[in-house]
Amino acid sequence: MAPSAGKKRAPPTAEEIDERNMVGVNKETVTNTTSNDYPDNYANEEHAWDKDDFRRSFKVQWHDNQQFEAQFSLIGIDASIANAFRRILIAEIPTLAIETVFVNNNTSVIQDEVLAHRLGLIPFTGSKKVICDVMGFWQKPAEGEDTWSTTFDTNTVGLSLKAKCTHNKDAPQDSKDPKVLYHNAHIYAKDITFDPLGGQSEWFTEDDKIRPVNPDILIAKLRPGQELDIEMHMHKGYGWDHSKYSPVATASYRLMPTIKITQPILGEDAKKFVQCFMPGVAGVEKVTRQEARTPDSGYEGHEGELKVVVKDAMRDTVSREVLRHPEFEGKVKLGRRRDHFIFSIESSGQWDSDELFLEAVKTMKRKCSVLKPQVTNMVYTF
Amino acid sequence: MSREAYQVPTASGNNSAPGGGTNLSRTFDTEGVTMNYICGDCGFKFPLRRQDNIRCQECGCRILYKERTKRMVQFEAR
Repeated sequence: MAPSAGKKRAPPTAEEIDERNMVGVNKETVTNTTSNDYPDNYANEEHAWDKDDFRRSFKVQWHDNQQFEAQFSLIGIDASIANAFRRILIAEIPTLAIETVFVNNNTSVIQDEVLAHRLGLIPFTGSKKVICDVMGFWQKPAEGEDTWSTTFDTNTVGLSLKAKCTHNKDAPQDSKDPKVLYHNAHIYAKDITFDPLGGQSEWFTEDDKIRPVNPDILIAKLRPGQELDIEMHMHKGYGWDHSKYSPVATASYRLMPTIKITQPILGEDAKKFVQCFMPGVAGVEKVTRQEARTPDSGYEGHEGELKVVVKDAMRDTVSREVLRHPEFEGKVKLGRRRDHFIFSIESSGQWDSDELFLEAVKTMKRKCSVLKPQVTNMVYTF
Repeated sequence: MSREAYQVPTASGNNSAPGGGTNLSRTFDTEGVTMNYICGDCGFKFPLRRQDNIRCQECGCRILYKERTKRMVQFEAR
């Protein structure tokens, strides 16, 4: 029959819609990976992007919201948008990091360049308000300009690290630990001191001064006679310039896993089935009397036996271990929901994780507002 | 220029020798400039001149290290 034969297709059932949204995870293949909710993909179905539709169906669920570790779900969103958020989180939210290192003296075994690189990667924190609102971006002085002509208290933070290793005269005779034998044998991030420039001594209070997020990061090890005398300048920057400016340690998403049990799995098989998954994903329950009496449920006459139930598919790693065993063949269907993104944002410490996501949304809006007039112009031109 | 033809630039030496200019700021004498060296064994710091034996004055160790530059060195933390 020709497609134009006139007979209208029935609207999709809820099951069909569910099936369309599912990425199939099979033994050796992954199927149905691309999104299909766009116009002209299905006959007699609209699927044009609609703001009200989106507003109705879009959901945000928080699973875990600690200061530096957040997990939440964005449900009903396209992969392109979810990925845009992820990329913005990694590369387009500015943070403060050590950019220039002035080495007056470094007689430790670690080379100046390596030391400078290590210092750059240390995450720092401080008054969020000042870093966000007062501190601006530093620009390289133009050719012929004075070296410091662009360096101000509103775009540079000064730090210094001075340490000299000496023998500890009071160390016990039999001690072997360098930290006991010598003073300043280990130099940690907490040894870096903040040197306020200009107005910074007023902006940054004592509790909110620039300090390393993790005070126990080991920077260098010294032995008696070795010395470090370093000054540093911090600037604001973006993750696309260097990963030290990235505000997140990881920002990633995964799709919501689904486990569909199509035929009952009972008895010893049920226990084996549970072992195929991470703890807490699947569990066993006793078949109830009601289930055993329901015809065509597959549980007839199995009252009291153990059966498999899916407890929390979100915890599944989709290892596909269950698909390797012949006894489960055809009884279970693994998949992922294509529009359910489980984000996990681990902040490196300068901002809180939930702030970072809101900031990413703000950045996205700003970028869209740049794009919008260009699209409008394009429409007018043609 | 062959290796043999190379002359260590000194103030008292031939002015036409390469590198031997009048703009040298360091003071040279016939003995050469004095530099501080650090013994690789005992860590003793002492000056050495051109003619001196390459040996630590304290422990006789023959491994000597030069001192690090006193100038500030700037790096990008990248």
